[in-house]
Amino acid sequence: MSDAYTDGAAADGSTTDRWFNDQTLKRAGAAIAGAFTLAVGVLLYYIVDFADPNLFVRIIPRFLEAFVLVLGIVAGGSVLSIPLGIFVGLGRVSKTRFTNAISTGYVEFFRGTPLLFQLIVIYYGIPALWIQNFGDFPISNWAIPAAIIGLMLNHGAYVGEAIRGGIGAVPEGQMEAARSLGMSYVQAMREVILPQAWRNALAAIGNDQVILVKDTSLLTVIAVPELISEFRQVNSATFDPWTPIILVAILYLCITIPLGKFVRYLEARSDWGGGDRR
Amino acid sequence: MSAHSLLEFDNIDKYYGDTHVLKEVSLEVDEQDVCVVIGPSGSGKSTLLRCANRLEEIQAGEIRLDGTALTHPEADINMLRQRIGMVFQSFNLFPHKTAIENVTLAPQKVKGIDDEIAYEEGMSILEDVGMSGHADAYPNQLSGGQQQRIAIARALAMDPRVMLFDEVTSALDPELVGEVLEVMRALAEEGMTMMVVTHEMGFAREVGDKIVLMADGKVVETGEPKAFFENPQTDRAQQFLSRML
Ligand SMILES: Nc1ncnc2c1ncn2[C@@H]1O[C@H](COP(=O)(O)OP(=O)(O)OP(=O)(O)O)[C@@H](O)[C@H]1O
Ligand SMILES: [Mg+2]
Repeated sequence: MSDAYTDGAAADGSTTDRWFNDQTLKRAGAAIAGAFTLAVGVLLYYIVDFADPNLFVRIIPRFLEAFVLVLGIVAGGSVLSIPLGIFVGLGRVSKTRFTNAISTGYVEFFRGTPLLFQLIVIYYGIPALWIQNFGDFPISNWAIPAAIIGLMLNHGAYVGEAIRGGIGAVPEGQMEAARSLGMSYVQAMREVILPQAWRNALAAIGNDQVILVKDTSLLTVIAVPELISEFRQVNSATFDPWTPIILVAILYLCITIPLGKFVRYLEARSDWGGGDRR
Repeated sequence: MSAHSLLEFDNIDKYYGDTHVLKEVSLEVDEQDVCVVIGPSGSGKSTLLRCANRLEEIQAGEIRLDGTALTHPEADINMLRQRIGMVFQSFNLFPHKTAIENVTLAPQKVKGIDDEIAYEEGMSILEDVGMSGHADAYPNQLSGGQQQRIAIARALAMDPRVMLFDEVTSALDPELVGEVLEVMRALAEEGMTMMVVTHEMGFAREVGDKIVLMADGKVVETGEPKAFFENPQTDRAQQFLSRML
């Protein structure tokens, strides 16, 4: 055997002489996890010790109100961003130059600028333009519609890219088979391509919708009374950051964890016979 | 043999960019006949079939189905495609639909046939291809041979005038080829007009009514199976057969 093949530990198939082997990795992992648990435990102890149970109970109602508002905004943004994203995705795979260019430009803009900037444009910019050209702005509580529109437009771009990727992953032959049966392009898309593209895109869309939930924290900047706004008010009145922080954390996780579970349920449901190939 | 030609290729030319892949091809498939197209890889067999239901566009000539020019720019292609069934080498079943749903989808959506009637007709076609016992299985729970039989059933469900088969057994394990050829043979016996691209020379000889040899984008020789296989006229045909057999 030449020297080239007897290099290092591979010669006799054993790796025990290396310091970084399966055993050390396992032990290191456990050690790091242990240290992390300890640190979190100590931190939690201090936090609970710091927090004021009376204040906690007193602020629950106002945070619940904010929570319901966030849920509503999330539902609105989510429900609107998905059909928008499907159309954007269809535009991105369109062979019609104009449609393709417009949807590409849309995606570039909304993914290329910060959501906070987009919210500012909608919340401050649109009413200013309206007032200059048409007189009084007709919507009195513009913050919430502006929030929903901003989230819809921003996440519509991300959902659109996920759908585009999902369509791209459907084999060419699927469209050909559908068309060869006499289906129109629209029928083939709706019945054959999109259901598969949706399944392919589901994980990415799920991720994006979790981000949408967290993005509601930016709405504090356009005066939406959401969870972070409530935190700031309570904190500045009481100088107690930790009691409201605990509540904010619990309430965000109350949305994001079930949402993640729901997405995994949807994925499991579109298994289509799964791996039990006969 | 009936003289009425159902599918006619009239002097067609097809280019991919600068590559001339079909060169003045003329060919007639008679009603109730099985026309078998053979030829070396890259000779344009798949392209010819794909042009016949406009998955590819031709640059010159005309393809007619029952006298109607389906290559005419104003032809109602969705309508014409319903009359031309196509079966692919890679099955292309819809993975999100069960066997029976694969079969009933187009009749329901394209022809607007009632769900119940579509289901009954679909089940009887699945029966014909020996797959009614797997009606509720998803494609990825089935073997290649089973999938291909469902793909044939799916095309048949539109009640086509002619069926196109593009190397439908080439992707199958050898032991699964027979069950698919059997279905095709039965279909031919019932009088279905078929255009079949295949490398299965045994099938070509037994089931074919007409053999078409293609090479370099041209039809080199056409003949009845017995004459073609026993007494090929052209050098190309002799060469090709000596390599195949
Ligand atoms: N989409 C395409 N773009 C460019 N060239 C193509 C395309 N599809 C096929 N060709 C070329 O056209 C010619 C004919 O291809 P075709 O697939 O029709 O051959 P075939 O006879 O079916 O071969 P095989 O037996 O390998 O399936 C080949 O030279 C091929 O490289
Ligand atoms: Mg081919």
